[in-house]
Amino acid sequence: MKIDLGLVSKVAALASLELTDAERSAMSEQLTRIVDHFEALRDIPDELLAGEETPRPMPLRADAAEACLPSAVVEANAPEFAHGHFVVPRIITRD
Amino acid sequence: MTTISPATLLEGSFVALADAVSSGRVTARAIAEESLARVEKAQRDFGAFLSTDPAATLREAEAVDRRVGAGERVSLAGVPLAVKDNINVAGRPSTAGSRILAGFVSPDHATCVARLVEAGVVVVGKTNCDEFGMGSSNENSAYGPVRNPWNPARVPGGSSGGSAAAVAARAVPLSIGTDTGGSVRQPAALCGLVGWKPTYGRVSRYGLIAFASSFDQAGALTRSVEEGARAFAVMAGGDPKDATSLTTPVPDVGAAPGARLEGTRIGLLAEAASAEGGLHEDVKASFEKAAETLRAAGATVTTVSVPRVPFAVPVYYLTAAAEASSNLARFDGVRYGTRKGEGSLGALYRQTRSEGFGPEVKRRILLGTFALSSGYHDAYYGRAQKVRALLARDFAAAFRHVDAILCPTSPEPAFALGAKTGDPLAMYLADVFTVPPSLAGLPAVSVPSGFSRDGLPIGMQFIGPGDGEPLLFALARVLEDACGVLARRAPGAVS
Repeated sequence: MKIDLGLVSKVAALASLELTDAERSAMSEQLTRIVDHFEALRDIPDELLAGEETPRPMPLRADAAEACLPSAVVEANAPEFAHGHFVVPRIITRD
Repeated sequence: MTTISPATLLEGSFVALADAVSSGRVTARAIAEESLARVEKAQRDFGAFLSTDPAATLREAEAVDRRVGAGERVSLAGVPLAVKDNINVAGRPSTAGSRILAGFVSPDHATCVARLVEAGVVVVGKTNCDEFGMGSSNENSAYGPVRNPWNPARVPGGSSGGSAAAVAARAVPLSIGTDTGGSVRQPAALCGLVGWKPTYGRVSRYGLIAFASSFDQAGALTRSVEEGARAFAVMAGGDPKDATSLTTPVPDVGAAPGARLEGTRIGLLAEAASAEGGLHEDVKASFEKAAETLRAAGATVTTVSVPRVPFAVPVYYLTAAAEASSNLARFDGVRYGTRKGEGSLGALYRQTRSEGFGPEVKRRILLGTFALSSGYHDAYYGRAQKVRALLARDFAAAFRHVDAILCPTSPEPAFALGAKTGDPLAMYLADVFTVPPSLAGLPAVSVPSGFSRDGLPIGMQFIGPGDGEPLLFALARVLEDACGVLARRAPGAVS
């Protein structure tokens, strides 16, 4: 399957990545080759794939509040932090 | 009481080193000082480390000395430990080999680190690795490649290449890494070491920087099988902080392995001979010799087929990339790590990620996002998940006939730096033997089995059914004894 420049751009937008023209071109060529190779999975007959995997039961824990990291520890790793909150660019604006 | 030099102890097993510290023949501080000096050389010669904190290391060593002095029994007293940089150590940086996490300091220990520290190890440094564990050569680190102590023109394997080089260079006797599709076992093989991944869930994932959560496991790299088993015994166990960790009893790997293997059934992986990308002649010869060694030790050795092994690389790279595309969405410049960009929130996300991630990480995020996207999900991610389940059933069928499966860990010895960097698919095929047990959640141990004609280590991998670690370590011991690797020192090892 051809992963063309348009598809690379679409997938990059979904993944919040900006690519240069050179990166987009290289990714198109490399991903096409990789995905072409992976088409081998179609060689496996569908009837062999009918079996269900048995999921391992997951343990449950009490739905109770537990101690979390102190705010000062979180703040130390945050790019920008104020009044106990992460600071991000304004996301609500008035027309 | 006879004293013993730290340098001598760092050349041998950490079991003897811990005994010497416990019995007061040497202090943990003296061991730490010698190891720190070696770490500096291993960084200079091989690029094995990303960060050290000598003052913290010496404080931790002195704390171990106080525990020993107080009469506490400390099983790994004073053993220097190197930790892959995608595993958290409290108060130390964790970059995962990525620019996007530059400056991040771990708030607490990963559970496997906490268990080792409780047992008396002393952390001497964080090791270089492929960015977020994505790579098979340690050439994808944002902080430069790692070189192989057996030949610095060759790669050490990846993604735990720094952890492998640190042990092979004899800077430390024990390192830990993460193994998503072979990232402990393959570098162990390429650096002449023992490396294991546990049954999925046997070692807690808490504190590992997630790449692909249904695969990620912590493992250890050591020079000997005995040391590897000791590390397993300490690291394994249930953890309330990891809902996928196993709470069943940890299998006992401490029992003395028998030299004789009568009654043990070993299956040679039939698909190994026809591996895509080929099997290096010297690896093939070592595989055959390993089979002979096991036969001579009394094992019944046959050939066993796991028919979907040839599909394991596509399945792995579709499913692990899909999980990575989700896991790595958290790196957006808001809560931790570096931040780039101004204006809108979307622009901040995009610029932070575009400048912070390297090419291989971007490639896998794009591949995973593609495989999960509308219109392609069923044909790629969905089908890969079904083949993954089929492969697990293949293994279950094989283990009705054999107790363990043997195959090479890597299809070739350490390759030259730069040999595969221009061809991502060729790099992915280096994982052809390590990804199958990862897909099925099975334990596997890589053990040195010999050397190539040009003196590079070769490793063999034993794969077992879930909780099969005791037999795997016992089998690995047989190959270790036969190949004589413990008597050889990497030419680049420091002192």
